[in-house]
Amino acid sequence: MSTTPLTPEIVSHEGNAMVLSMGPQHPSTHGVLQIMLEIEGETVLTAEPEIGYLHTGIEKNMENLFWSHGQTNAERMDYLAPSSNALCYVLAVEKLLGVTDQIPERAVHIRVLNAELSRIASHCVWLGTHGIDLGAISVFFYCFDLRENILDLQEAAGGARMHPNYIRVGGVNGDLPDGYADRLDALIAKFPGRMKELRGLLQANPIFQDRTIDVGVLSAAEAVQWSVTGPALRGSGVAYDVRKAFPYCGYDQYQFDVPTRAEGDAYARFLVRLDEMEQSMRIIRQAREKLRTPGPYAIDDTKIFAPPKETIVLSMEALIHHFKIVSEGFRVPPGDVYQAVEGPRGELAYYLVSNGENRPYRVRTRPPSMYNLQSLKGIAPGNLIADLVVMIGSLDPVFGEVDR
Amino acid sequence: MPSTQTPPIAGTAIDPPGVRPAIDDAAIEVVAPADVRARLETLKAEGYSMLLDLGAVDYLGRTPRFEVVYHLLKMPTSAASVAQVGRPARLRVRCGCAEGVTLPTVSDLWKSADWAEREVFDLFGIAFDGHPDLRRIQMPHDWEGHPLRKDYPLRGPARERSPRPAFGLKSNVQAGTPPTGRTLEALQEQIKKAREST
Repeated sequence: MSTTPLTPEIVSHEGNAMVLSMGPQHPSTHGVLQIMLEIEGETVLTAEPEIGYLHTGIEKNMENLFWSHGQTNAERMDYLAPSSNALCYVLAVEKLLGVTDQIPERAVHIRVLNAELSRIASHCVWLGTHGIDLGAISVFFYCFDLRENILDLQEAAGGARMHPNYIRVGGVNGDLPDGYADRLDALIAKFPGRMKELRGLLQANPIFQDRTIDVGVLSAAEAVQWSVTGPALRGSGVAYDVRKAFPYCGYDQYQFDVPTRAEGDAYARFLVRLDEMEQSMRIIRQAREKLRTPGPYAIDDTKIFAPPKETIVLSMEALIHHFKIVSEGFRVPPGDVYQAVEGPRGELAYYLVSNGENRPYRVRTRPPSMYNLQSLKGIAPGNLIADLVVMIGSLDPVFGEVDR
Repeated sequence: MPSTQTPPIAGTAIDPPGVRPAIDDAAIEVVAPADVRARLETLKAEGYSMLLDLGAVDYLGRTPRFEVVYHLLKMPTSAASVAQVGRPARLRVRCGCAEGVTLPTVSDLWKSADWAEREVFDLFGIAFDGHPDLRRIQMPHDWEGHPLRKDYPLRGPARERSPRPAFGLKSNVQAGTPPTGRTLEALQEQIKKAREST
């Protein structure tokens, strides 16, 4: 954070170069990003993003909370796709506990459903704000309408719109409510038409194409060098998707494609994300079919997952287990684990270290946004300031996650 | 209050990689600080083209105190290299490092290590030799201390000096918080009046 001591390289005024601080309150920086630019005319010579304005020490906080509180904090990092974060953390804890294969099938499908829904919701926010950056206001309303439907579903399942805290260690917090399936079907029916509208607004729009084609070109080799993952990497032609490379949550049973583009520019990343939304909907339709069979929604282990509240008044054991989980959590065997999922922004991972107690010893997040954003240092020089806005938008950083 | 957690005992599952049950899909290597740079160079040449992440853990009370963890990914970067590189694979390189020991930078091998090393420097105080721009990244530039160290208080050093309101008290009125005249006596007075009026 706080760049006040400018590095000597940045204040060197050679020729007509000048230093410009873009942000941290600039509206097109999608949060609190400051970029120290060295510019000549309107051309960027160097760009040095300065982050940390939103640093809240979430990792340190998580080390001081029970294992079962972790996903609540994880959801606050990438607040546009809370379920993906919670899923990743929960999978990591389950691996340390060694209960991965005891999670009931229905819970796994519900998790997949929620992760994919939050991917679409997150891409909706990205597309809407990306459109606004380029002066296309109306696309924002179409996107937020679609996202609203998804947030309604999140609220129905988890009880909260933004941070549902629905995915828990051992399963999910309660079965899907009555009427959920109908609302999901309505969303599935609405989605193709809405995607057609979104594509119609931007994809063949000559202004949009002028602003994005050949802007912010990231070659495959460069993308790998900068550890760029997710749609940004696939927009550069590398078909790496954690769901295919290291399947989790039974993603290998689902049929879906990994859309890639070879161009590596902002337009390619735009197309990849749009294709990805459609693939996510494909997964959601399959998950919908799998969810027709009822079943348990959480692990049958009351040491990890508290028994249903109704049983507390009927059974002494249930009351004890409930009390134990609420008051001191559960213990996790010592070990370390690296668990990754494909988040909306790329490979989102947790590296957890346990010392056998009821709190994590170390929680390290691999923040995909941070690595993607860092590549701005490589792609910005030589471009116009106006194009910088397109590049930030096309990398889609979320600052809750960059700064943690 | 500094962390009360004890580090994992040496010899438990996380220690020698040989005895550790395979619970995730990454291979594990343990390397000494002197060899880490050479080993990572070799690995990069072997096809581990992406540095997924670089983080650190503070095992306070153990020697060496810190451990820097490199997560590497081997993957084909084009359709042509699929046969050559094979399926994607992960590798975790763990490098124990004592307090005050600097590690060689890898930011010239993988550009992405730039910010990752700055973050480890900022939050753990582990310096990297040869890093082009080793400044704080998350905390303000004039911050003192390294927050993710285990001996760093959770609420920060400044707030640590003032006593924490005890949770044992029935209400925070007794902890002396309210400056608005809502003392315990005032509250009891208010309750008494309310009772009398009914």
